[in-house]
Amino acid sequence: MFQVKWIWENLKGYRGRYVFALTLSVVCNILILATPVLSALIVDGYLTGDDALFNIANKKGTLILLILGLIAFTAVKSLLQYVCCMSYEKSSQGVIFSLRTRLFRTVENQDMTFYDEYRTGDIMTRLTGDLDMIRHMLAFVFRGLIESVTLLLAAVVYFFVVDWKMAICILALTPLIFIISFRLKRVVGPVHMRLREKLAAMNTAAQENISGNRVIKAFAREQYEIDKFGRINKEYSAANKAASLKWLSFSPYLEGIAVSLSAVMLLAGGIFLITKSITMGEYIAISGLIWAVSNPMRSLGMYVNDTQRFMASAMKIMDIFYKKPAIKDPENAYTPKEIKGDVEFKNVSFSYGNTKVLKNVSFKINSGETVAVMGETGSGKTTLINLIPRFYDVPGGEVLVDGVNVKKYALKSLRRNISMATQDVLLYSDTIDGNIAYGNSDMPEKDVYKCADFAGASEFIDKMPEGYDTIIGERGVGLSGGQKQRISLARAIAVKPKILILDDTTSAVDLEMEKHIQDSLKNLGFECTKIIIAQRISSTKDADKIIILDDGKIVEMGTHTELLRNKGYYYDVFMLQNEGFERSEG
Amino acid sequence: MARNRYNIDEVLETPFDIRHLKRSFKYMNRHAKKMIFSLVLSIFAAVSGLLGPIITQYALDKTIPAGDIWGLLILVLLLVVTIAVSVIFSNIRARIMTVVGQDIIFEIRTDLFKHLQDLPFEYYDNRPHGKILIRVVNYVNSVSDMLSNGIINIVLELLNMFFIMVFMFFVSVTLALVVLAGVPIFAGIMMLIKRRQRKAWQQVSNKSSNLNAYLQESITGARIAQVFTREEENAEIFDNLSNSYRTAWMKAVKYSNMVAPAVDNISMLVRAAIYAVGLLIISPAGVTLGTIAAMTSYAASFWQPIINLSNIFNNFINNIAYLERIFETMDEPVTICDKEGAYELPEIEGNISFENVTFSYEEGKTVLEDVSFDVKSGESIALVGPTGAGKSTIVSLLSRFYDLKEGRITIDGNDISNVTLHSLRSQMGIMLQDSFIFSGTIFDNVRYGRLDASEDEIKAACKTVCADEFINQMPNGYMTEVNERGSMLSGGQKQLISFARTLLSDPKILILDEATSSIDAKTERLLQEGLFKLMKGRTSFIIAHRLSTIKNCDRIMFIDDKGIAECGTHNELINRHGEYYKLYTSQHEEISV
Repeated sequence: MFQVKWIWENLKGYRGRYVFALTLSVVCNILILATPVLSALIVDGYLTGDDALFNIANKKGTLILLILGLIAFTAVKSLLQYVCCMSYEKSSQGVIFSLRTRLFRTVENQDMTFYDEYRTGDIMTRLTGDLDMIRHMLAFVFRGLIESVTLLLAAVVYFFVVDWKMAICILALTPLIFIISFRLKRVVGPVHMRLREKLAAMNTAAQENISGNRVIKAFAREQYEIDKFGRINKEYSAANKAASLKWLSFSPYLEGIAVSLSAVMLLAGGIFLITKSITMGEYIAISGLIWAVSNPMRSLGMYVNDTQRFMASAMKIMDIFYKKPAIKDPENAYTPKEIKGDVEFKNVSFSYGNTKVLKNVSFKINSGETVAVMGETGSGKTTLINLIPRFYDVPGGEVLVDGVNVKKYALKSLRRNISMATQDVLLYSDTIDGNIAYGNSDMPEKDVYKCADFAGASEFIDKMPEGYDTIIGERGVGLSGGQKQRISLARAIAVKPKILILDDTTSAVDLEMEKHIQDSLKNLGFECTKIIIAQRISSTKDADKIIILDDGKIVEMGTHTELLRNKGYYYDVFMLQNEGFERSEG
Repeated sequence: MARNRYNIDEVLETPFDIRHLKRSFKYMNRHAKKMIFSLVLSIFAAVSGLLGPIITQYALDKTIPAGDIWGLLILVLLLVVTIAVSVIFSNIRARIMTVVGQDIIFEIRTDLFKHLQDLPFEYYDNRPHGKILIRVVNYVNSVSDMLSNGIINIVLELLNMFFIMVFMFFVSVTLALVVLAGVPIFAGIMMLIKRRQRKAWQQVSNKSSNLNAYLQESITGARIAQVFTREEENAEIFDNLSNSYRTAWMKAVKYSNMVAPAVDNISMLVRAAIYAVGLLIISPAGVTLGTIAAMTSYAASFWQPIINLSNIFNNFINNIAYLERIFETMDEPVTICDKEGAYELPEIEGNISFENVTFSYEEGKTVLEDVSFDVKSGESIALVGPTGAGKSTIVSLLSRFYDLKEGRITIDGNDISNVTLHSLRSQMGIMLQDSFIFSGTIFDNVRYGRLDASEDEIKAACKTVCADEFINQMPNGYMTEVNERGSMLSGGQKQLISFARTLLSDPKILILDEATSSIDAKTERLLQEGLFKLMKGRTSFIIAHRLSTIKNCDRIMFIDDKGIAECGTHNELINRHGEYYKLYTSQHEEISV
């Protein structure tokens, strides 16, 4: 019952209200039991009693009072029930609100290993469907359980007061209910786990299909996608049926036993009546309340079933809830307000799994310098720059910023000073203005314009129907590659970082525009270290230092002229890119 | 329609009306036999359940006073039989309806998904994807019970009500009318609550949709948030969205939860009225006390189905907010689809012509105006020009991702709007700017290009695009699991995989849209050999910025100012000293400093 403990912990802030709701549940159910007592006064006194006719004729006042009392009683009872209901809603919503927002923070702060492992649809299922199971547990199952227990206890006590023999006869079947429920619990757990997995799988499949809609259309793979999703949909449907049918294979026994109480009542009560060991009055008193035992018995199985579903979901949530990113603030973190922008790699090695990506890389960049990184696809360029804002921790060597190991920084202090235009441009379905000002939402509009201008984006933005207020599609779909790259560049510049990292940011930009961007980068109006990954000589030639990576190692390092003299990789690339001109002109 | 984002509620364009119900019936109809059978079973179960009290009553009135133990045993046995019948029948019904409910939502989901596959890019570009996702997964799940058990229960409860009403009128017309007098009061209250309740549940669906949208974008964009240290701010936005959802929910349940107390009070008022009317007004003259007693018990049983119905109704109101969203999506027009009488495009030879093509994404903002050109089979065309000039648009139009405003495009003389989309697109190899990677193995990602490709063919394709080497270095080689957000692949590697995918599809027309932008110069050089092999005998369009790629094409088109500014071979355009020449020399200058 670790999950129950966990949920109790997370009730913090709503515990009072929740306990209040539970208490009201008890009160309301006792009131429900009391209702027949009140109406019995009328029925006995005015309908079935021996002096009913006399009472009607002479005690009209009392009758009116009784009727009014009954109305008032119901009004109060239903008001309490309403308050009780709303308290459950309020506290359960409160809990899932705080869980959801906490989960969001946990997810948001995870490192890349987490995102390699968990699929988007899966994480989403945990923050939506699974949380709803928690709500269901709090607002429905626990409530039902406490109400059932109240009814059952009250009825049992009442039965014992009336006649202990009858009470024992009625309770004789209860152990069976418990045995069946216990078996149900064991059997139904794995079924719900499976259902839960299938739901996440479906969420993932649908999510990818929606994100990949362009590729799907490009390859005319609609039918393939329909078939693929159809299979998952079918599996989910089958898992759902299996879960329900598993429950339905138990429910008739539970239901049967619960309803059979009336037969037990008739048999035992009849025999006791015949042997005169109870009176008719006692019999009616007990049979009138038999529902208070049979209803809880009937629901018990359902609650057990739902609890197992809850357990499956809670497990999934807790898995993320307690997840600690490997990359987090160290103790006594270094929190400089601002950094200078020196970057140094000291014998840095790095690998993904068994694949070595960086091997013993060392270099030093002084603040304000511009450094270009070149190398073949997969040579480790992106990995290298990802180490500076500490997206990964290096197992060997050190990455230093301003001479301090990045592991010693508070992540915020470090990253706030670094900005990056990533290779995989990811824009949000927000306005262009909102996208550019992403790192600094209080930014005045004119600064946004300026950044767009720096990035060579202002021209096409101005041509858009609503200019900077144009909402762009998720991931920036609808914009051309070059347009996306420029917005992403503007976004990176906008935060005025001390270290600006551009990962292949101008690859889809035409040459004229690239020239404009090169010029802007030289005159940003604030001092910063620039690290630029690029494929084109035109982007790298003016750098203070050019680093050539090959298979995770630095093979060349120097200025444009130095490297040309070197006749290595850089020279080859230069020749490749220049070749055409020589030929056509020479 | 304006684009939507996470903090904008979606306007419901088609309000709920009776047609939605009819449409739901379409899904239920397929299971009509099972549903009717279930209904019959339920009626038997209910009747059997009603026999119980009668047997008990008989035992108490006759058998027990007579001291007849054997008689009692027989009656108990009979009671057990009725219970068994009732329980077993109910269980069978529940089993059938579970299957029916799941089948119905399976079908709805399938239809919804199929429809989504037909929707054009715009649909996906115009709203956060999380808002589409929630409809496919969560909303569809919500309506299962309503469309299966819900309907049967309504019928059952109505029948139940009807029979009790008949009994009541038999017993006493006056008192029956007293009982029925409660109904209009109840209906009035329900109407009052209903309107607000419906709005409130629509809000809940809106808010949950917003929440889902933001959640999805936050997960996909987690790294960007970290780059810009936006975690705190994003978390606050998420808090607000979660809070709006909570508020909307609380408002909705505020109304929903009113229904039960309302029924409770009204049924009590009715009972009180029976006592009052029966005992105080007409009793001495007319009705017997037994009649009043019977009436109160009937009144109680009459209100039970009403309580049940109002619960079902509550559920309906809540779920209709989801159902209407599902149908709304299904009604989303498929703007680009096979025309009536569309025919299969025969195997493409590759003669393409654009005839006076005019196109705009948005009204009044023409991207291409009166563009005409012809491309011969096997020709390779490079499209160059400033970003946003319309290069991608030209190739998108050729694949018919959008329909033209004016003019026509033909392939081998077939107007592309007259052929089936599938026959058109499946013969084209389009490599988009975004190289989308599906989660799964690298092998499967390449295979996506041609599903029946053999392992050798897949590996050969990867070799051609120089991807073989890095794939072999990955932990599990071709069987390495990758995903869209994952860190396993660099941008260039993603492009290579997506290149191999296109290559594998063996297209008749090849379109490369910035396909190699993230690939380094050396690899690209190697790639070009493969590329030229690939281009041989196929009509191809290449959008690129690197002149080394462009130069080798048969013809170069410089796109600018809504059309083709210049067209010719590399040498022709250089000699022309126009825009292309400027572009060329600028790159030259850049490099040979």
